[in-house]
Amino acid sequence: MMDQHKTVLYAQNVRKSYGTRGNVQQVLKGIDLRVMEGEFVGIMGASGAGKTTLLNVLATIDRTTEGSIFIGDTDISKMKERELSAFRRDKLGFIFQDYNLLDTLTVKENILLPVSLGKMKKRVAEDQFNTIANILGIKELADKYPHEISGGQKQRTSAARALINKPSMVFADEPTGALDSKSASSLLGTLEDVNKHQGVTIMMVTHDPVASSYCSRVVFLKDGNIYSELYRGDKTRQAFFQEILKVQGVLGGDSVDAL
Amino acid sequence: MTLFELVIRSMRKNIKHYYLYFFALILSVVLYFVFATLQHDPSVVERSGGSMGAAFKVAGILLLFIAGIFVVYANAIFLKRRSREIGLYQLIGLTKGSVSRLLIIENSLLSAGALAIGICIGILVSRVFLLLLMKTIGFDGFIEVEFSTAAVIQTVIVFIAIIILTSIQMVVAVYRNTLLGLFNAEKKGEHPKKPKAFRSAFLAILGMVLITFGYWLSGRMLNALLLINMIVVLFTTILGTYLLFRVAIGWLLYQIRKRKQGHLGLNNSLSIAPIMHRMKGNANSLTIITVLSAMTLTMLAGVYSLYYSTEKELRLVYPFDFSFDDFWYEDGQEASAKFISELDKQNISYTYSTVETLQVEGEFEEGSALELISTSFRATIISDKQLQQAGVDIEVSESDAAYLYDAGIYWLLKTMDVPFNVELTNDDIESMKVVKVNEGNAVNSSASTQLVVKDAFYQELKDLFLKDKNGSRIASIYAINVSDWDQLVEASAIFKRINEKNDRVRFDYYSQYVSSMENNGLYIFIAGFLGLVFLISTGSILYFKQMTEAEQERSSYATLRQLGFTVQDIMRGIVRKQVFVFGLPLLIGLLHSIFAIKAASFMFMSDITVPATIAMGIYALIYLVFAFLTVGYYRKTVKAAL
Repeated sequence: MMDQHKTVLYAQNVRKSYGTRGNVQQVLKGIDLRVMEGEFVGIMGASGAGKTTLLNVLATIDRTTEGSIFIGDTDISKMKERELSAFRRDKLGFIFQDYNLLDTLTVKENILLPVSLGKMKKRVAEDQFNTIANILGIKELADKYPHEISGGQKQRTSAARALINKPSMVFADEPTGALDSKSASSLLGTLEDVNKHQGVTIMMVTHDPVASSYCSRVVFLKDGNIYSELYRGDKTRQAFFQEILKVQGVLGGDSVDAL
Repeated sequence: MTLFELVIRSMRKNIKHYYLYFFALILSVVLYFVFATLQHDPSVVERSGGSMGAAFKVAGILLLFIAGIFVVYANAIFLKRRSREIGLYQLIGLTKGSVSRLLIIENSLLSAGALAIGICIGILVSRVFLLLLMKTIGFDGFIEVEFSTAAVIQTVIVFIAIIILTSIQMVVAVYRNTLLGLFNAEKKGEHPKKPKAFRSAFLAILGMVLITFGYWLSGRMLNALLLINMIVVLFTTILGTYLLFRVAIGWLLYQIRKRKQGHLGLNNSLSIAPIMHRMKGNANSLTIITVLSAMTLTMLAGVYSLYYSTEKELRLVYPFDFSFDDFWYEDGQEASAKFISELDKQNISYTYSTVETLQVEGEFEEGSALELISTSFRATIISDKQLQQAGVDIEVSESDAAYLYDAGIYWLLKTMDVPFNVELTNDDIESMKVVKVNEGNAVNSSASTQLVVKDAFYQELKDLFLKDKNGSRIASIYAINVSDWDQLVEASAIFKRINEKNDRVRFDYYSQYVSSMENNGLYIFIAGFLGLVFLISTGSILYFKQMTEAEQERSSYATLRQLGFTVQDIMRGIVRKQVFVFGLPLLIGLLHSIFAIKAASFMFMSDITVPATIAMGIYALIYLVFAFLTVGYYRKTVKAAL
């Protein structure tokens, strides 16, 4: 099945429904998706299209109702809860809209949290921290607490935490949702940079066309199905942005959200 | 929708928040009602002389105090958890007045319900407590519990007062807080600051020095400044405890954390970090809980030791079951003969022995006497051989020295350094060397100090004193022991009967034992009851606080689980935090109480290590139940977080 050597994530006929018998609501209606190594995939769609559900399912936080998901060579839809936890810790990185930093920990402590069960040697972890903190420009903030730094800095911290254990894939759920446009573009630029130069595979859910114009590919969801896909290729970000807007116009609905 | 409908609706919605407060209320009602029932129970009233009534009264006031504080505290936590809701009501346009009314109606309904349920449960369990009380004071007749209207009325009055108090508390909370404050109340938490190195180190060390000083002084309190010493000990240990929690532990944790250089690890992230985050707020409650625990532990251990040691202590004071002498009786021999003939009539087997004593005046040598006892005393000199013949196991090791016995002032005498000298009223003997102060009495006697010497030395002294004839005389003690317990009961009744006409009635071992058991049984019951209430209050307060904390940190647990930590990983860190939150107050409380009990052990002649350890062990066990409950609650929260 894993014929493509460089496939990082492969989802086949993923379905997800909520509710009990008699009142079942299908949120994902059979999604097939393949993500290659080094891709920066954006997921777009109107509210209720199933973006976040898809991300949660792919990121092992939620279970599928049907279908299989491979990350690397592992079929995560068959894994037990405990194995999933270990898998998330070792192989995946997460960036959330609300940063989800622990208020009681400093920036550095937050970033080092995923490697805290001691599999990584302290010196290696320290080196890794220095590298990532330098890339994200938050080295001087190491000893500050979350309440002492700005939203953009918090999201950079969150990004650093996602990258510390060199994950095979990073999942970002509306990472710019709570940021002003300047902090947002700065963070997206950094993510793009990390994606290009460190080769980190990223999947990002967003409803902001500007944010998704930083991606190398954008997948549009509508009512739990994939509606269409756009590849950036060699186009400029500006041109890609226009294309995204066009699809979104056809898709409808989200234009209200975007305003 | 009327306000009343809103109340009912919000109560139905909020049942999760309410049950905690409701439970606290019911518990207080039950305990108070049981206590009031006992207080008014005819069989208790009948048996209780003045002392029992007074003890109950004092305990009742203490109980009222604790119940009040506990309910107010629980209400404060409850209000804080609902502050968002209170804010929401105001946001949608209810005036502060109507929100207050809403809360008061709610509170009254809730409290009335708790009162009714509490009294019902109280009626059911008060019988158990009454049986327990009668058992501990050694009463084994038939007991009937009567429904006590007086107890119901008393409980209702007390809890109406508490309802008024909590209602005021609610109104104050509504009027004092701003909308913004109400919405952020749940998020509130201080942020750990870098402690000022010099100041913190100084205060931390001061805290430990204060506690150490308090401990040190507690062992040296017995002098003319006893009362001042006690106050100083209390003050230094409480202040020291506060500094320990407020500064020393925060400082210590800060140092540990700093040394980790950001590599904190999951366990520390879930224990050290949140503790530091709330150190300021927790310092007060941890100090109060520590001090309360220490007090409760001391009270329980002390009173239980009293109860446990009753028999041993009394045997030390009354080595013989019955004793007659020429001092308390006109003719001791005749009185004893009369008693024996009565015993013979009832077929009671006994041993009879005579102990000869030498009555002289004595004086503690200048400088050796303590400030609290008068220097001159009535001395009874006894030969150890005669005592052995009478069945008292005493053997003096040195040929020209004495062992000193005086149960009444033993607690003071035992702090004296031996050997010391006592002067006797005879010019031929300058002084007598005392090589050992032993616990208890050598013979049944409360009016004199006994000096036990070797038989040969006794004969020598006797000759000297008889020659002198100055205020000294020979007196005999006629001692009777009854070995069978049932026969001892009968013998004691006979003893009481033949002494009825004698206005200088002497005490016998058994009747003293019965009345001591009754008193000490009452004390242990009241102490146990109060201790239980203290324990439940402190345990519940810790539990409620941790419950709130768990809810505040729910989002952190969600994040951690998303990052890939299992419930077990997270629980390991949380358990570590609970070890700190519950363990530290218990540990320091235990340490405090150990020193307090040591200081109070002067009241005992026998060793109280065993009873004190038992009492402390039971306390710690029940206390730990709350820790387990808390960990259970956290586990539920973490599991549900994702």
